[in-house]
Amino acid sequence: MPISLKGGKERTMKLELHRVKISKLAWGDATSAKDGVLTVNKEELLSVLAGDERLTKVDVDFAQPGESVRILPVKDVVEPRFKLEGAGGVFPGMLSDVETVGEGKTLVLSGAAVVTTGKIVRFQEGIIDMSGPGAEYTPYSATCNVVVILENAKGIDKHEYETACRMAGLKAAAYLAEKCAGAKVDAVETYESLSLKDMPAPPTLPKVAYLYMLQSQGLLHDTYLYGVDVKKILPTYLNPTEVMDGAIVSGNCVSACDKNNTYVHQNNPVIANMFKRHGVDFNFIGCIVTNENVTLLDKRRSSSYAVKLARTLGVDGLLISEEGFGNPDADLIMNCWKAERAGIKTTLLTDEYAGQDGASQSLADSCVEGDACVTAGNANEVIVLPPMDKVIGEPEEANVIAGGWQGSLAADGTITVELQAILGSTSELGYTKLGAYTI
Amino acid sequence: MVKEIERAGLPVVHVCTIVPISLTVGANRIIPAVAIPHPLGDPSKTAEEEKQIRRRLVERSLKALQTEITDQTVFND
Repeated sequence: MPISLKGGKERTMKLELHRVKISKLAWGDATSAKDGVLTVNKEELLSVLAGDERLTKVDVDFAQPGESVRILPVKDVVEPRFKLEGAGGVFPGMLSDVETVGEGKTLVLSGAAVVTTGKIVRFQEGIIDMSGPGAEYTPYSATCNVVVILENAKGIDKHEYETACRMAGLKAAAYLAEKCAGAKVDAVETYESLSLKDMPAPPTLPKVAYLYMLQSQGLLHDTYLYGVDVKKILPTYLNPTEVMDGAIVSGNCVSACDKNNTYVHQNNPVIANMFKRHGVDFNFIGCIVTNENVTLLDKRRSSSYAVKLARTLGVDGLLISEEGFGNPDADLIMNCWKAERAGIKTTLLTDEYAGQDGASQSLADSCVEGDACVTAGNANEVIVLPPMDKVIGEPEEANVIAGGWQGSLAADGTITVELQAILGSTSELGYTKLGAYTI
Repeated sequence: MVKEIERAGLPVVHVCTIVPISLTVGANRIIPAVAIPHPLGDPSKTAEEEKQIRRRLVERSLKALQTEITDQTVFND
């Protein structure tokens, strides 16, 4: 592609999200969307998912808002999207070719989600309740969920099972959206990322970038960027609209409350809100993606490299979001003080593990420079989830899930667990239903 | 645990991968380990090399235990 020297539109990355609103699921002969109903041809969907030798059984079920339904153990949630126009396809490097995405038109089945379930690492999958007190704590109680139930072939390694589940979720999501390509669009949102040269926002406003930390500890704690295992990258620049086309895919089996599911990446509220405030409160410079690796050397290298990128971009401020907890707190803190000491203001997005009584140290690491921090809540808080009429998956997994314990599942189906066990309950991207404001 | 044992009067060496966390929680003698999933070994090495890694960590730890310190100290060699 020729490089324009004139400036302007040639350098702009413009993405339109064409939202088809879904408020109900139904089985039917043809997969399609009409009047808020996503009709699914079950056999056709199963045929899309068939043929993976790593899976012995694949089934599909529905879980809709307000129903007395519990899903566990949940691996990932994916929003159905399909590229209507523009280069590449959704989930590049994973399901589609590696062509750069983030431009053109993308169809979104808003209100629908694909939920994958299977016993992979067992303690590191989550719970979704579609009604009752648990529903308040997970955003996926408000989505119409096409639940894909995946059982592994005997003898395959866990990482192969994880790959099979990840790909099944992506395939199902892409299939559903593609079949609805002709549906009436309810709303169009436009996002425009300009090159730094063409950015028209007032030069008096501060420049703010988003430092987007991705879980990359290995052993099934992995995230993928254009199909690349993020533990192998050096921090790099990412255009915010690329994320909306699925450039970041979760391969994570980590504590459910603060793992960033693929759905949350696709709908990252930090990015959406930074776009909204671009040119008003600050100039949104874009995303720097970085990792959370398992050696101190890697943590030091990545934090230094990310801050160097921020300095090169000339930013005044960084919004830093963490994924997970424990040793990633050390990455978060290193990113914070290295940026602050380079003269870049930081705000940290995290959650807390302060014990069931909330009295313990919230983060594993800390620094004096970290004086602006937003928390998504205490993951150790205990909640009682009353029995549901129907459970999709394996209820006894509540006894081994992170945040649960032997005895979490009572005979009548009641589950007593920490919020840690509920999918997305303390999302460090702020993708939660509950919030608090300081008055 | 490191702090509680020291409170009881026994010096402790904390062998750990993420040294900043060890410093934050207040360990006094710190030995940097290999990686979070394998602090005392390295699956990419041979068994003999791994044995050497472990020996070096143990010897460094014993030396740290015998070293007088006045402040939190990271023993890098």
